[in-house]
Amino acid sequence: MSRFQTPLLLIFGMVVLGGLASLIGSEQLNFTLTEMLIRMVVVIGIYLFVGNSGVMSFGHIGFMSIGAYATAWMTLPPEWKQVMLTGLPVVFQDNTYPFPVAVLASGLAAAGVALFLGIAIMRLSGLAASIATFAFLAIVFSVYSNWESVTGGTSSVIGIPTVVGPWIAVGFVCGAIVAAHAFQVSRVGLMLRASRDDEVAAQSSAVEIVRMRLLAFVASAFLVGVGGALYAHFLGVLTTDAFYLALSFVTLSMLVVGGLQSLTGAVVGTLAVTLIVEVLRGLERGLDLGASHIALPRGSQEIGLGLALALVLIFRPSGLSGGKEAAWPRKRG
Amino acid sequence: MSAEAVSVKFQGLAALSDVNLTVLRGEVVGLIGPNGAGKTTLVNCLTGFQRPTTGRVIVAREDTAGWAPPRFRKAGVARTFQAGRLFRDMTVAENVEVTGVGLGLDRKTAHAQAMVMLDWLGIADKADRTAGTLAYTDERRVGIARALVIPPAFVLMDEPAAGMSDAEGEELISLVTSIPGKFGCGVLIIEHNMRVIMNVSTRLYVLDGGRILAGGTPAEVQANPAVISAYLGADI
Repeated sequence: MSRFQTPLLLIFGMVVLGGLASLIGSEQLNFTLTEMLIRMVVVIGIYLFVGNSGVMSFGHIGFMSIGAYATAWMTLPPEWKQVMLTGLPVVFQDNTYPFPVAVLASGLAAAGVALFLGIAIMRLSGLAASIATFAFLAIVFSVYSNWESVTGGTSSVIGIPTVVGPWIAVGFVCGAIVAAHAFQVSRVGLMLRASRDDEVAAQSSAVEIVRMRLLAFVASAFLVGVGGALYAHFLGVLTTDAFYLALSFVTLSMLVVGGLQSLTGAVVGTLAVTLIVEVLRGLERGLDLGASHIALPRGSQEIGLGLALALVLIFRPSGLSGGKEAAWPRKRG
Repeated sequence: MSAEAVSVKFQGLAALSDVNLTVLRGEVVGLIGPNGAGKTTLVNCLTGFQRPTTGRVIVAREDTAGWAPPRFRKAGVARTFQAGRLFRDMTVAENVEVTGVGLGLDRKTAHAQAMVMLDWLGIADKADRTAGTLAYTDERRVGIARALVIPPAFVLMDEPAAGMSDAEGEELISLVTSIPGKFGCGVLIIEHNMRVIMNVSTRLYVLDGGRILAGGTPAEVQANPAVISAYLGADI
């Protein structure tokens, strides 16, 4: 029981959240909640690699982009693809695939790319690897923005079936929590966390660090790719710049604010940052107090988020979770 | 295992010159020498963390050229570190478990093995503590447990008693002497305290300026004029 209390608690929390939202039944709230839950899948995916290995990645949103476009290629109506995405292979042009198949394949596509990328960069030292992931993000962005016959270039891809609502998103978040927890208590997870704490000592405990990091990188890209596909099926519209620096900043903030070293941190950080951003967004729109209308200047969201990030790093460097996992309160013996 | 004519040069500066050393299973071999003599560099060579500039390291009659550190542990060569180097954010049990898992065991089996080892070292009651919160002497014990779990053929210990009080040090050293009998492995131990090393070693080597100055039984080494004049003179 105690071994599974963290995933169970987190899943319970998500289900309660979904239940509350459907009781309130506001469309705006459902939209915000769904978007947050999809981001949570992505943040949990990033956590799986970054949290366990201790190697920062600035490139995971590239995997999200790969997943999102992959599902678009598989689920758009053939008539549209044959006109707009003339460079797509015929198998994609002539067929549409059901949502579950497309989402799974999108995750696998991201994982496949991660395998090749990871073989090249996981042997680098931590910081060099982090910078290489950033280069990867820039490459994905450039390729997808310019490969017009396959991605539509800088114009939007529209008409993706919008099948993802709050409950489907809750389902995927629960799946991601289970997967990330299973990974972290696995043999590979244990060895990877050892290498995070001390690379030298891990090697002398027979841990093959490069291989462990590669496994985590691929698994993590799979989850993020799935998150990208969900995002496509939530908005129905894709543009390449949705998957670049702004989203990278928000998702990494979520991870850092919650605490890099725990799954609970990934979940709590996503909640906290979403709350901060939504409050600031509301204040940017303004409040009516009696006769006067008070509004924060545009851009306050980004500034506020930056401040929150800085404050957490200064006063609580291991994040809101303190690097700990959620647990039932225990009586002191 | 042995080092055959091992030399290490750092940017032209010789850290080790033509070092020959052998450790057999079942014996405790001491390695002494002043600071900067190259003792840790030698241990690094013997565990894959430092590639010899020239010379060979042989483990169980195999040339280890090109082996990475994990391969050394898989071939049965374990080590401890002067700085402890525990996995600070993990529990004590997990620290020890990592070695078993690294060697291919499943977590449950590795955990059981870890608990046996922690029990032998008298720290089983601290198994669930976070390693970063341990007292210094316990840290050392965890480091030793991590090296000895799934018993290796050889264990190389870099100043295991450094920074301990005399009483604590002696207790630890008596533990070290029981390792060959209990686990059947050979021990190479770096130690500063001359009295201690003379007591525990079946053989010992004196390293000075990157060269082996003398080797033999404690009695032979103590009688060696070169050792007396170069190193031991003031100490004994």
